[in-house]
Formats: sequence, C-alpha cells, structure tokens
Amino acid sequence: MDALIDALPLPYTDAVVATGAAVLGLLAGLVGVLAVLRRRTLVGDALSHAALPGVAVAFLLAGVKDTVSLLVGAAVAGTLAAVLVLALERSSRVRPDTAIGVVLSGSFSLGIVLLTHIAATGDAGQAGLQDYLFGQAAGLVQADVTLFAALAAGTVVVLALLHRPLTVVLFDAAFARSTGLPIRLLELVSTVLLVVAVVVGLRTVGAILMVAMIVVPAVAARQVTGRLATMLVVAGVVGAAVGTAGSLLSTATRTPTGPVVVLLGAGVVLLALSLAPGRGVLWHARRLRRDRRRRQREGVLVDVAAAGPAPVAASALGAGRPSRAVRRTLRRLRRDGLVRATGAGWSLTAAGQGAATAVLARRELWWAWLEHGAEVAVGDAREPDPDDLAGSLGAEAVERLRALGGTAPAVAGGAR
Amino acid sequence: MSPAVAIVLTAGLTATACGLLGPLLVLRREALVGDAVSHSVLPGIVLVHLVLGTRATLPVIVGAAAFGVVCVLALEALRSTGLVRADAAIALVFPALFSLGLLGVDRWAADIHLDLDSTIYGQIAFVPFRTLVLGAVAVPQSVVAIGAVALVDLLLLVAFWKQVKVATFDPGFARTTGVDPTVVARVLLTAVAATAVTAFEAVGAIVVIALLVVPAATAHLLTDRLGVMIAVSVAVGWVAAVSGYAGAVALDASIGGAMGVVATCCFVLALLLSPQHGVLTRALRRRQRVRAAGRAAAGRGTAAVPPTPLRRPGTCAAGGSCRPAGGRWRPGTLALPCARAAGTGALPPRTAAGAGGCTTRLAQASAPGRRSR
Amino acid sequence: MSAADARPPALEVRGLTVSYGRRPVLADVDATVPAGTLSAVVGPNGAGKSTLLQAALGLLPADSGRTLVEGRPARAALDRVAYVPQRDAVDWDFPITVREVVEMGRYRAAGWFRRVRRSERPVVDESLDRVGMTAFAGRQISQLSGGQRQRVFLARALAQQAPLLVMDEPFAGVDARTEAALLDVLTAVRDEGRSVVVVHHDLGTVRARFDHALLLNVRAVACGPVAEALTPANLRRAYGAAGVPGGAAGREEEPAWTR
Repeated sequence: MDALIDALPLPYTDAVVATGAAVLGLLAGLVGVLAVLRRRTLVGDALSHAALPGVAVAFLLAGVKDTVSLLVGAAVAGTLAAVLVLALERSSRVRPDTAIGVVLSGSFSLGIVLLTHIAATGDAGQAGLQDYLFGQAAGLVQADVTLFAALAAGTVVVLALLHRPLTVVLFDAAFARSTGLPIRLLELVSTVLLVVAVVVGLRTVGAILMVAMIVVPAVAARQVTGRLATMLVVAGVVGAAVGTAGSLLSTATRTPTGPVVVLLGAGVVLLALSLAPGRGVLWHARRLRRDRRRRQREGVLVDVAAAGPAPVAASALGAGRPSRAVRRTLRRLRRDGLVRATGAGWSLTAAGQGAATAVLARRELWWAWLEHGAEVAVGDAREPDPDDLAGSLGAEAVERLRALGGTAPAVAGGAR
Repeated sequence: MSPAVAIVLTAGLTATACGLLGPLLVLRREALVGDAVSHSVLPGIVLVHLVLGTRATLPVIVGAAAFGVVCVLALEALRSTGLVRADAAIALVFPALFSLGLLGVDRWAADIHLDLDSTIYGQIAFVPFRTLVLGAVAVPQSVVAIGAVALVDLLLLVAFWKQVKVATFDPGFARTTGVDPTVVARVLLTAVAATAVTAFEAVGAIVVIALLVVPAATAHLLTDRLGVMIAVSVAVGWVAAVSGYAGAVALDASIGGAMGVVATCCFVLALLLSPQHGVLTRALRRRQRVRAAGRAAAGRGTAAVPPTPLRRPGTCAAGGSCRPAGGRWRPGTLALPCARAAGTGALPPRTAAGAGGCTTRLAQASAPGRRSR
Repeated sequence: MSAADARPPALEVRGLTVSYGRRPVLADVDATVPAGTLSAVVGPNGAGKSTLLQAALGLLPADSGRTLVEGRPARAALDRVAYVPQRDAVDWDFPITVREVVEMGRYRAAGWFRRVRRSERPVVDESLDRVGMTAFAGRQISQLSGGQRQRVFLARALAQQAPLLVMDEPFAGVDARTEAALLDVLTAVRDEGRSVVVVHHDLGTVRARFDHALLLNVRAVACGPVAEALTPANLRRAYGAAGVPGGAAGREEEPAWTR
C-alpha cells in the first residue's frame, strides 16, 4: 500500500486520498452487489444514521475521542440497527421500507439527543463528533487506507469462499432453505460485511453519501452483466474507478471529494441505464419503435394486398390504426418500392406483392404452429419466434408444420 | 405567545400535516420518500440563494419544494425503466441531488457560512424568535406556514378521499373506474414534498422524517380502518410533540431529537402490545392456545396434537375435493379425516349424489343448474 | 338469452391485435358476447385470455382493432362494465373493511367527491347479502380466506350495478363450495338480463353452467354457444392434440386421445 501511494505521481496527501477512495469504492462495490440484490440498499442508509448514537455512546463510555473506540461504537450500533430492521420485517405487519424508516429516524433522533445532551453537559472534548456524519476525505491518513485495504481483501476472500451459497440464497431463499443452507448465518455474514463497509466509509465520504457508493457500482454492473460472479468483479472495478476518478477530479477542481465522487457515480449509472446493450432505456426504446414500425408496415402491406388489384384509398386501410400512422407507413413503403400511388389510391408493386405474400406465408406458418405445435417434435425447449419460425425451430419442424397446415381463423356459431 | 407554546404548537401542526400523509406513504410502501426529499432539496435552497441572494422563508421554501418534486419525478422515472428497484432508485437519487447541493454550497454559498444542520434544515428552538404580526398579536411565522400546509393537506385528503383509497388499495380496479393511480401517486407525493419542505425550514429534517413514518407505522399496528389509522397517527404525532418538548427541556437536549425518540417509543409499545398485531400479545395468545390444546389432549388421555392439519383442507387422499370433517388429526388415523374417510360429517348433497367415493370437480360441476339450452 | 334478444352485443371485439415486444399475444381476434348470456373465455395457458379482457376494456393498449361495449367504444362505456381483475395488485394489508371494499363499487355512481350517501346503503347491503358476506361486513380484508375475498370482489362488482360483469379467473385458488356459490350468483345475474364474461379453465364447469364460450389461443378458435364452440375438433385446435385438459373434450362424444 505504501509503495503504491509513493509510486503515484501526486502530492502525498492527494495520493493517500485517491488510493483511499479507490479502495473504498472497491469495497462498497462488492458489498453493494449483495445489498442491491437483496433490495437492502437503504439498510445502508439506516445503519449509517444509526452509527450516530453508537458514536455518542462510545464517546460517553471511553470519555475521549479515540478513533478506534468510536469506530467500534458505530459498527456495533450499525449491526444492531441492521438486525433490528430484519427483525421488524419478520415480526409483524411492518413493511421493509417502513422498518428502515422507523429504525433510521428513531436511531438518528436518539443520536441527536445524546450528542446535544453531551454538548450541554459541557464536555469540551466532544466537539467534532458530528463530523462522523459529513465526510472529510481530505483528513484521510495512510493508516485509514491500510485499514480499508485489509477490509476489502477480507471481503474478497469471504465472497470468493461463499460465492455459491450466497448465489443460491440471493436467488431463491426457499430453495436454499430446502437444501439445508444456513440462511440466517449467510444473511448475518452479508449484513456484517455491509455494516463494516459503511462504518469505514463514514469517514471518507460521509454517511449520507456512503449510500450512493453502495448502490452506484452494483446498479451499473447489473446493467452490463447477468452473472453474479461477473457482477461482483465489474462492481468492484466500477467502484474503484469512480472513487479514483472522483478524487482526482476533486483535487484538480479544488472541490469537496465526497460530492464529486457521488455525482460522477450517478453519471456512470445514468450512462449504464441508458446505453446498456440489450437492456438500456435507449436500446429498449429503439427496439420498441422498430417493432411497431414493422408491425404497421406488415399490416398495411397485407391490407393493400387484401384489397385486390384495384387501387385502394389510404382511409380504407389499417382498421383501428390512426390514419396518420397509415399514411406515414405508406410513404415508407413507397420509398422502398413496395407500393405505388396512383390517382385512385394505393396499389402493390411486384416487389410489394412478393413481400405481402411472404408476410402472409409467415402468418400462415404461425397459425399452423399454434394449432399443431404440440405435435411437432422440436427436440428441446426451443420456443418459436413468430417472425422466424425456421430460424427458431429448425427447418425440419417447419417442413412438418407446412405439411400439417394451419386453418385460417374462423369463428364458429356464425358470429362473423 | 410564550416560547414553549410556540414550539409545541409548531411541532404539533407539523405532526398533524405529517400524520395526515404518513399513513398513505406507509401503505404505499413509500415510507422513505420523506428521507429522500429531505436530502434532495439542498440544491433548490442554494439556487435561491444564488439567484435571489436571499434566505427569506418563502423563496427558500419554493426553491426547495421545486427540488423535492424533481426528486419525486426522478424516482418515478427510474422506477418506470424497470431496471432499478424502488429502494435502489431512492439510494441513487437523493445522494446525487444532495451532492449537487453540497458542491453548490462549496462554490457559491461558502461565504455566508450556511450551517447545514440548523440554518438550512431549521432548528425548532428558533421558532419563537421569528414572528409575524397578524392583527394585534405576534404569531411565529412557522405556526402560520405549517398551519396553512396542514390545512391544505386536510382539504386534499377530504376531497380526494375515495380516489386515494381506491388507487392505493386496488390500482387495477381504480383504472376501470376511471381513476388513474399514477396521477393520484403524483399528487400525493407532491403534497408530501411541499409539506416536508415547509416543515424542514421550521423544525428540521429529522423531525419531519420521523413524524412521516413513525406515527403512521404505529397506527398501522393498532387499527384496521384507514380513517382511524390517520387519526391515531396524528394523535401519536401530538404526543411526541408535547412530551418530546418536555423531555428535551428536562434533559437539556435537542427538541427535535427528543420528539423522534418519543415517537419511536410509541412505536415500540404498539409493536409489543398491539391487541391484534403485537409481538407480545401474539406470543401470549399462541401460548394460551398450546396450553389449552395440551389440557384438552390430557383430558382425552392422548398425546398433545399438532394444531395444524397435515393436508390442506379441501383435498383428500383420493384426489377429489371434499370438505374436511370438523375433527382434528389424531395419531392412529392415516390421513386427514376428510368427510368420507372419517365417515362422519355430511357431504354436500350434490357431491353425495355423484358416483361413490370422492367426486371429481367435473362431476360436481355438472350438477343440476340452469343449462344453457 | 334467446335469439329474440334484440339488444346490441354486450361486448364485441373486432380485429383485436396485441403484442408484448415482438410476440403477438392476441392476433386479429373477433369475438361477440351476446347480451344476457353467461359467457366463458377458455384456452390454454398463455392464450391471451387476461390480455383479451384488459385490451377489450381499453385498459391495455392494442396494436389494432376495436371493441364495443353495448355498441359503444369501450373506453367511453367503462361505466357500463364491472371488472374484477386478477388479485395480485391488491394490497391485502390495507386497513379497510369488507363493507368499505363493496362501497367502492358505488364510488363512481355516487360521485367521487361526495360522501357515500345513505341511499347507497341498500345496494351495498344487497350485494353483500347475495354473496353471503353480510356477517363479515366489519372484517378487515386480510382476515378472510381466499374464497371469501373473491366473494367480496364479486359483491363490489355487483354493487357497481353495471349491465356487463367481467371477471378474470375468479375461481383461481378458490374452494369448490365457493366456486359453486359464486356460479349461482353469476347465473342469477344472467337471469336478471345482465351479461357476464368469465375467464375460466375448467371445461366441465363451462359446459355445465355457461351459455356461450370463446375458445382462444392467441387467435379466436371458436366463438359461439357452448355446444357449438367447444367441439372436440375445436378443442384440439386450441389446446393441441395432447393438451385438452382432464379429458374434458367430452366423455360422451369422443375421448381426446383417440383422434
């Protein structure tokens, strides 16, 4: 650790802060994955508030502002709060978010009462206890960084050892219980990991902002991977990167470290949420638009084909579809050379005739699948893609479907 | 108005406003919105200071409320992507907005030494010193402001009572009756943001967060009626206000903190002793049941019986559906005594008419009834 | 329910197409529910039964097609429909009594901004009575069994006094006795001249108790009087040869497996 800090081309204090933020980011990223998957991100919030009475009580007991005893006080109170939240959820009709809210505001109120009481009783040594809530990353010393690094290493080891049982518990607790896994113990382990990370984080970025350090890397990592092991690695890397970049940026711009790290992290999450391949908001929107256009296109093509060889007016097309969409689709189809406009209306070109036939054939095949799907041996659990049955089911299955043939939709009872 | 009365009145009015809205938040699983909003308003306050150069009450409240609404909308947007769960959305939004505010303070507001704890987030002990002359009497500003907000909340709740109830209880049904649950949610959260912001300025954030959640959670443990729940929640808030103030004076500690502690004590009492949902009361009831069962078993000269049947009622070994007979499972019998197996208890006439044994669903369904034609 | 019923169909769906992503859930469905019938929507899992109801009532956006309730566009006629959705969105812990839930059925008619008037009481009382829940009126909703809860939701729908009652899987997770009781109520409602549409998957019950059926598997396989719609051939087309549930293709006619 010392070698690393010395090797950085930065002034000593900046190097310490940057390394500290990186190691903390790594640590928070790892435990954050557990918290996010268990929907417990705000337990971090609750226990960081709960650290306040812990600090106050530790000070009352120790009588001096000693870092170690304050940290221990915070950790004990934090664990207590996390356990209380769990117990509240299980005991009664209290919902998880309410449980967190009650523990958070109750313990923080208690902390404030204790602190103000200590202040009022005139102990001069108490000044600065509140600083445990607001970060002072610039006050970070090398010993803190070493502590973080040790904790991060411990967390990595625990996660590596417990990776499999944790996956089972996180994914399907009922199944985990049926296999005899000690669920309570595993929950306690992941809670303790979270508590430890939050308590050491209090000093670096402050309690409130620690919450963000927990959630940002995990949420970003979830967008780019669907595997727990990969997610842990990505979250660790993202956390470390956000921590480092944020602290460097804050040094360069002479701004407070904590907020810069958090805002950078929020930016990373926004990017991941919008751009994540196959999942992101923009990607999703594009796919929706493409699918809608395609449906409109096929619908209009089939409608024009159904109208026969004579030109058909745009207003007679696309039952139920807004006519503006129909007109726009027609313009696109004309651009692609599939329809042509004559004075009397719209009609198909030769290419359009072919395209319409293809669409109809595909629909026909889909009807056949719906009707005879159960009789066609597919071999494995493949599911049909309505647009590409041959590709999704295999050519053989499609041959068989063609032979069986679909019946055009018909309605019995003369309703139609 | 004496300082003590001014403080207790302000706290009580805050408790009223929070007690009206808190139960809805708790029922909608949005209990932490108050916490999120309380942190998110900082950029609004900085912006007002930057643009208008003032820390006067009204512009600050407006600026803060604007960012409270930003927070609520951001939460909704994040959730609507379907990529982020509700808890993670809160944990993403409020630290980001709070950080934005901290940077703003650092850059533009450092010269005036905005003390985050008391100046921005209010300190209830200062309430008596900022007064407004109404007619001939000097009334604390915050009493007027929070009183107005509590009144607006009350009116909103009374006016939209049915919509709120339907949209919270059964959103699917609400939609069929022409009530859009998302609109209801937005109006409610906006009211929460405005209430919270007004109250922060006077009494401090922690009091508001505590009063939004804790009394409502307490009331939820005590009653099964929404109206009663809201009334109880307001009442618990007033208890916290009055005894919190007394306690704080006695201990020479923070008034807001003491109110939070008292509210939490009420919650703990309800949690343990609530007649229906209390942890202790339920444990006691269970013990009485076990004892009674034990006594009954001893009286019959058999071992204690398991209180739950081995099989779900309504099923029996033969796979059909029939009703369990009233009796308990006893050691010695092979399966849950369904009416037929035990040979006691009358079968419904319809199933009894079916071919012997447990009748299937199908046979039962073809019982006499109006045929279609 | 006779051919002489000259009223417009209670529910009419024309060319309804709904997709989730690329997968069509409903394709070009045409269906008619004649007024004054007890109608069932049947089909295999994933056939789009719930989607059909929701899209037909305008609660779900459709790609194309239109729906008419009593001859009027569905969205404008929602006050003519009492819809009982599947129950997953309901908050059972909500502090509300059985009676209050049923009163919700009167909210729209009585006005959203008024108190529930005294004159509404008989309607609520009668609805509770018809489903046999009068004795439970003061209970909180979570203290009821699954069957009792479903009775309450039927009572709420009855209190809406709408000419069309639409229920999505009302008998899922309900004991046989409750199912029979609910069916009796629905039959009585039909006999009053109202129309009832129920998503159901017990073909035996449908044959025995319903007038009209829509057999659905993404598209409408058959729609008409039960005897005409639920023929073995149609059932095979909807469920596939092996999939017809419980030999319900009709024991008298032809066992499903002989083909």
